[in-house]
Amino acid sequence: MTGQLLAQLMNGLLIGCMYSLIAIGLTMIWGVMNIINFAHADFLMIGMFISFWLYTLYGVDPIFSIPVCGAVLFLLGWLIYRYLVSKVMTGPGLAQLVVTFGISIFIANAAVFLWSPDFRMIEKPLLAGTWNFGTVQLSIPKAIASLGSVAVSVALFLFLRKTKTGKAILAVEMNRSSALLMGINTERVNALSFAIGSSLVGIAGAFLSMYYYIYPQVGGTFGLISFCIVALGGFGSIEGAFLAGILIGVVQTLGGYFFDPAYKYAIVFAMYLVTVWIRPQGLMG
Amino acid sequence: MHGKRGRILPYALTLLLSLALASAGAAADKVIKIGAVYPLTGNIASTGLDCLHGAELAVDIINGKYPDLNLPLAKTAGLPNLGGAKLKLVVADTKGEPRNGQAEAERLVTEEKVVGMIGAYQSAVTKTASQATERLKIPYVCSDSSSPTLTERGLKYFFRVSPHDAGFARDQLQFLKDLEKAKGVKIGTIAVLYENTEFGSNVGKQVLMLAPEYGFKVVADISYTANATDVTSEVGRLIKANPDVLMHASYITDAILFTKTFKEMGFNPKGILTFAGYIEPGYLPAVKADGNDIIVRSTFALDLAKSKPLVAKVNALFKKKYGIDMSENAARSFAAPFVIADAINRARTTEAEAVVKALLATNIPGSEMIYPWKGIQFDPKSHQNIHARGILVQIQNQNYVTVWPFDSAAAKVIWPFPAWKTRK
Amino acid sequence: MMTMKKPTAVQVVFYAALLAGLLAFPLIVKGTFPTHIMIMVFLFAMMGVAWNILGGYAAMFSFGQAAFFGIGAYTSTILLMNYNVNPWIGLVAGGVLAALMGAAIGIPCSNLRGHYFAIASIAFAEIVRIHFNNWKFVAAAEGLSLPLLPESLGNFMFHSSKAPYYYIILVFLLLSVLICWYISANRMGFYLRAIKESHELAKGMGISFVRYRLYAIMISAFLTAMAGTFYAQYILYIDPESVLILPISVQVVLVAMLGGAGTIIGPIIGAAILLPLSEITRVSLGYKGSGIDMMIYGALIMLISAYRPQGVWGLLTTIGRRGK
Repeated sequence: MTGQLLAQLMNGLLIGCMYSLIAIGLTMIWGVMNIINFAHADFLMIGMFISFWLYTLYGVDPIFSIPVCGAVLFLLGWLIYRYLVSKVMTGPGLAQLVVTFGISIFIANAAVFLWSPDFRMIEKPLLAGTWNFGTVQLSIPKAIASLGSVAVSVALFLFLRKTKTGKAILAVEMNRSSALLMGINTERVNALSFAIGSSLVGIAGAFLSMYYYIYPQVGGTFGLISFCIVALGGFGSIEGAFLAGILIGVVQTLGGYFFDPAYKYAIVFAMYLVTVWIRPQGLMG
Repeated sequence: MHGKRGRILPYALTLLLSLALASAGAAADKVIKIGAVYPLTGNIASTGLDCLHGAELAVDIINGKYPDLNLPLAKTAGLPNLGGAKLKLVVADTKGEPRNGQAEAERLVTEEKVVGMIGAYQSAVTKTASQATERLKIPYVCSDSSSPTLTERGLKYFFRVSPHDAGFARDQLQFLKDLEKAKGVKIGTIAVLYENTEFGSNVGKQVLMLAPEYGFKVVADISYTANATDVTSEVGRLIKANPDVLMHASYITDAILFTKTFKEMGFNPKGILTFAGYIEPGYLPAVKADGNDIIVRSTFALDLAKSKPLVAKVNALFKKKYGIDMSENAARSFAAPFVIADAINRARTTEAEAVVKALLATNIPGSEMIYPWKGIQFDPKSHQNIHARGILVQIQNQNYVTVWPFDSAAAKVIWPFPAWKTRK
Repeated sequence: MMTMKKPTAVQVVFYAALLAGLLAFPLIVKGTFPTHIMIMVFLFAMMGVAWNILGGYAAMFSFGQAAFFGIGAYTSTILLMNYNVNPWIGLVAGGVLAALMGAAIGIPCSNLRGHYFAIASIAFAEIVRIHFNNWKFVAAAEGLSLPLLPESLGNFMFHSSKAPYYYIILVFLLLSVLICWYISANRMGFYLRAIKESHELAKGMGISFVRYRLYAIMISAFLTAMAGTFYAQYILYIDPESVLILPISVQVVLVAMLGGAGTIIGPIIGAAILLPLSEITRVSLGYKGSGIDMMIYGALIMLISAYRPQGVWGLLTTIGRRGK
């Protein structure tokens, strides 16, 4: 009984770390530009497919595809910002959001067109199997993905605090107009943040591809959950998103185990509603 | 300064736009048009496409001359009683949404002038589509939706060839009974695990209702969301309940995820009996050897070829056309065009009332089908094929082999389910 | 963009002609499919107008309209099936229930701004969906097939023709437009816009923005629930997967945003473009199963909104102005 409880807790932590990595990319874009990127889940899917094709065509293990996924998504994010999103940065209301809806529908169906709606899986990744600790089984790829997620989050945190570019991004996030006055090229910062945010979710895709099935609509639930995580953590707060991701992973798993699996996402959403009722700006906003 | 024109133009453009909406229909010609509605975009597009391929092959066989195939209307080109008229499938995409099922059925009937309808895989979509054809008085032959409720509605124009979930649930439980007798094992407890959309909850309901009748105790009743990101809590509950047998109704995504998680967490019941997801063509390529020893309900298996050479011939044609083996979905959807064409041929007209009359008199013998049934004959009230039944296949060496009913089994059932630790 | 000036002669003539055209449509076009598309256009236009009261005027970007839609559909259907209540009464009951639900969610969320409100509305709608999907009283995921009643206006059910449905939803749409117009032309619209411009300013002016935001949510929920009842009576089958899912909420937002949020005619134009577009691409290309229909659909949304962010109404107005 306690063994099972411990197993559930560990699994909650693992899925939570994955959520965190996906959500951190989203919170960056959100914090800097005040945009909900509805295509975020589709970027995740692209990351997974890149990893899959590198494996299938060239035998590259997903663990080595991580930099490629990060780089390709960085470029894609930059292009999408430059040619689509930047056009509506000064536009009214939620125009940016509709653009990202369009991008999302386009990308998901382009994937169907290019790669068919079939399900794929990476057959034998280098990292596979389980570690056994008494009654607790820990999936090795999940554990590695979680460690990777923590490492990437720390790297991002340091980048933002220690480098000149990172500081410029933070300055824009805090106050766009004074950043402009300080001589920061906000347009470049926007593009960079969009690219970094996309790159992070691409990396998440590579990690996820080690143990998850891959198909064009795979991002759906991850996307929805990551919106919730970002808002729960507080928009633009990287630490907030990281903690909220883990919290949601654990709540979802334990809620499903003790209460009712059919309601596990309802519990997550209810937790979000209760939190923002008490703290409208989210945990760390 | 805005001139007068500046005020008129946007309105005029809007009017033009709305006028452009009015569109005209297409004229009907000599071929016999049959509507086919399937989910061809969205979440289960790959399944929808698979079903469509089955129906397309059936139409090819009806239209062409295949003297060595013992299928209805295969030996002659087209429908002989209608001067060799050819069948034409008019395909429409439902996106898996009930409202599109209705709209497409109506469009196909009123604009494309189809005289019969097949499809739509998802029971919820079949429900609205067949409701529309009922109103428009067009025969609908379904061979790929499995909700028992479809034939409980008393529709006049709706017929179903394939078995439904209540029948499948009985098959699975009967298998366990037969197994107890044959192997001298004792099966006491069952866990029921099902995804919570229309399909899964219906199966769950049937199993929960029938299990006590067969003398099994249900120790876990777990419903879950099919597109979950992670299912460790569900499997945790299963481990806690520790059932002899797991019965699982799933779609493909959750089938893959659960298989991986069973292995990861070491969930070892004596048997895993499943519905639907585990037999989708995408399942085995995704899980490979981890799928071995799982048992799935089916209406078809390639190894039926051992007792039915017809199966191998049809599969060869399928493989030639689509490059893969015929799956269970494709095989099920393969039935409907034959049934509807056979009825039209006997009725010698496409007039709906006559076709319905002919459908009610349908009597296709088992030898003229690729399924292990006695034949196709419809119940006069419910319009369900009274001979439709399921078989059970087990994944052995990454192939689906028939293991039940025992008298038509191609291989012996592997029981109990080997522990994950002992598998490679 | 919205002005309270008296309508010009051109506008009067235009709207009269448009209305006459719409009234005559079922008499001219006989096919059921064009009529179906028009019904869907009106249905989503109506929900877009209702969304606009929240999103366009009060800057509360709701992504949870499907919850109200579903509550409307389920309330009237359950009342009809279990208690034999006439669907027209069910329509009002569903509206009232949705408005109360709106208030129940609106009060705790009234402090939430922008994206926090958007995500809260998604969370709310998802909880409703998940609950209905597991709630035995409403047949859970199995869904409800409406009993077939003899066709009549009183029964809100018609079998031989779609024209009555067409006129009913047209009337619903006009009613929504009138309500929206009335709000925007009166004190409430002014207050809502003031809140949209600046919370602090509105507070300084002594506007109780909680109260007005609440009114906006309740009205929007009521109208959306009406659309839900209409859907149930029209399709005659509802389940959580067809009336409570996120894509419905998203479609409503798209309709309003693409047409031009904050204008009365915007959502109508948005619906008149988006729905036929998705139907036509699906019918002409979707059967191939290659995803190309949705690619075109997505690309058009992407390009229109990136290069014409004021919405299509804004685009038309600009073309008009250039044409002088």
